[in-house]
Amino acid sequence: MIQYIFFGLLTGSILAIAASGFALIRQVEGFLNIAHGQYMLIGAIVGLSFMQLGVNVIFSGILATLIVGLIGLLLSWIVFEPLRGKGHLVQFFSSIGVAFVLYGLILATWTGNGIKVYPLNFGNNFNFGFINFTFGEIYVIGIAWSCMLFLHLFLTKTSIGLLIRAVANNSTLAKTRGVNSSFVLYIVWFLSSGLAGLSGVLVGALGSVHSELGWQYILTILAVSVMGGVGNLYGVLASGLILGLVMDLSSLFIPSKYGMVLVFSVIILILLFRPQGLFSTRLQQRES
Amino acid sequence: MIGIFVFLASVLTLVFIYATLATILNFEAGWGGLWDLGTAGLLAVGAYCYVILTVESNEIIFSPQLPVWAGIVVTSIFTGAVAFLIGLPSLRMRDEYFLITTFAFSVVVLQLITTESSITLGATGFHNIQRPFDDYVSTRSYNFVLLGISTFVLITIWLLIRRLGRSPFGRLLRAIRDNEPAAKSIGKMIFVTRLKVFVITGALIGAISPMYVWYIRSLSPHMFHVTLAFTVWTALVIGGIGNFWGPVVGALILIGLTEALQFLQYSAEYAVLLSAARPIIIGVGLIIVMRFRPEGILPEKHSFKNARKIIDYQKQI
Repeated sequence: MIQYIFFGLLTGSILAIAASGFALIRQVEGFLNIAHGQYMLIGAIVGLSFMQLGVNVIFSGILATLIVGLIGLLLSWIVFEPLRGKGHLVQFFSSIGVAFVLYGLILATWTGNGIKVYPLNFGNNFNFGFINFTFGEIYVIGIAWSCMLFLHLFLTKTSIGLLIRAVANNSTLAKTRGVNSSFVLYIVWFLSSGLAGLSGVLVGALGSVHSELGWQYILTILAVSVMGGVGNLYGVLASGLILGLVMDLSSLFIPSKYGMVLVFSVIILILLFRPQGLFSTRLQQRES
Repeated sequence: MIGIFVFLASVLTLVFIYATLATILNFEAGWGGLWDLGTAGLLAVGAYCYVILTVESNEIIFSPQLPVWAGIVVTSIFTGAVAFLIGLPSLRMRDEYFLITTFAFSVVVLQLITTESSITLGATGFHNIQRPFDDYVSTRSYNFVLLGISTFVLITIWLLIRRLGRSPFGRLLRAIRDNEPAAKSIGKMIFVTRLKVFVITGALIGAISPMYVWYIRSLSPHMFHVTLAFTVWTALVIGGIGNFWGPVVGALILIGLTEALQFLQYSAEYAVLLSAARPIIIGVGLIIVMRFRPEGILPEKHSFKNARKIIDYQKQI
């Protein structure tokens, strides 16, 4: 039981950082960025490639995060910036286009068409009564949680974080107050894509890397962010953890092949009773 | 020489299948305003229902071996019923929540199809599916039969959707899409109308799903990958949402371009690159159209010139 909670926490932490980047873009730009899943895949592949070149795990992760962040920044400059103000559906469909292009480029350039595993050694197995874990898994949880803490501190304590929240809340007002919104958006894109890249590395390190990873994860990310209430970053973090726990704990009670079915049924049920998401504050704001 | 014609017929058939799907989606999303990502799921429901009903196989526990026409009718009703069941909860949600719910449903359906192998044969699926008129023509020239069937289906669906689009029901749909409070204020039943649209869409997708099965000749969950729904959407968006010809033009351009690549298939070396070129073409097409012509190649207003005239006339008064 505790073992499954531990695994759930592991899955959930990764989901939470992947979805937080997605939610940031949704908050600031206003659309669902379907290309986010492909950013994760690029992160996983770049990390893997650096490790195969003999670079240390930590450095590979950092390099992958930075590279994916820069790719996201570049794409936002090329594709999404000219579309600002043309409506969210136009941006949404463009992001599907970006996802397709990246997926095609990965298929064309990445030689390994099968499933690949990171050349990693997670260290010895530790056994504390009920629970088995390795140092590597503790590292992954540590990285994920410090990332979330960093994101929280960045958004609440720094002046750039303040600007980001201002643009997310009311971009017109922010602009009239003299906020350079396109600069703020660059930062957000870099941050969001970087988080996607990092979560891709973590997914690859724990599991495996294959070319469908992007499409697979964008579904879960969509589910997590909608469940958390798309306007609320902390709600998204929490629902990522909850969904991870549900996924892993469900295998105790029902055959694991029904895991996906259960997860999405839970989401549909939650949306039925709370159509605005679990932790959304939007309605409260409107009422007050 | 005949080989090229066989190949062209097969490409055109695929174009027409996508055009039919995009036309149905146009009715639902273009005029109904329902942003549905569950198309692949409904298509899977229809395809599996049809094959299970008609296939002669003793590997699955339920196989009534109906004739083709009965299979299509029952499939259509069944898919419509499934759409009704999905519509009841999901239509209560707006915009991206509706998008997610239909998407989630699609995932659940595919997962169930993969796991319930006693009736769907799981990930292996069905192969060498019996097709109508299969005994009369050779496999090579069957492509022409299929082209005929798909042309007939596309024209039928297109005329039906055009009729619906120009009917008072179509006007009601566009009214609800453009101004929901106004439509509500004159006593229109928003939820019931949307549910009707959803069920009609489901029944139509069910009715055409056998065509997709006949084209591929086999049936497995991989055929309904996430990208299928996105590809149909791309065809519709490139061609022009809301326009009668938009989905047909979009499918012709998109599928025509991606399938034309098969002409270049000389060696296995290029096979990987070619399979990669398909998503790149779809993506670049989508990005360019969204950037320079977000309303699509054929905008909606071209389809409703008369409606525009009436409004202008009323303005003059």
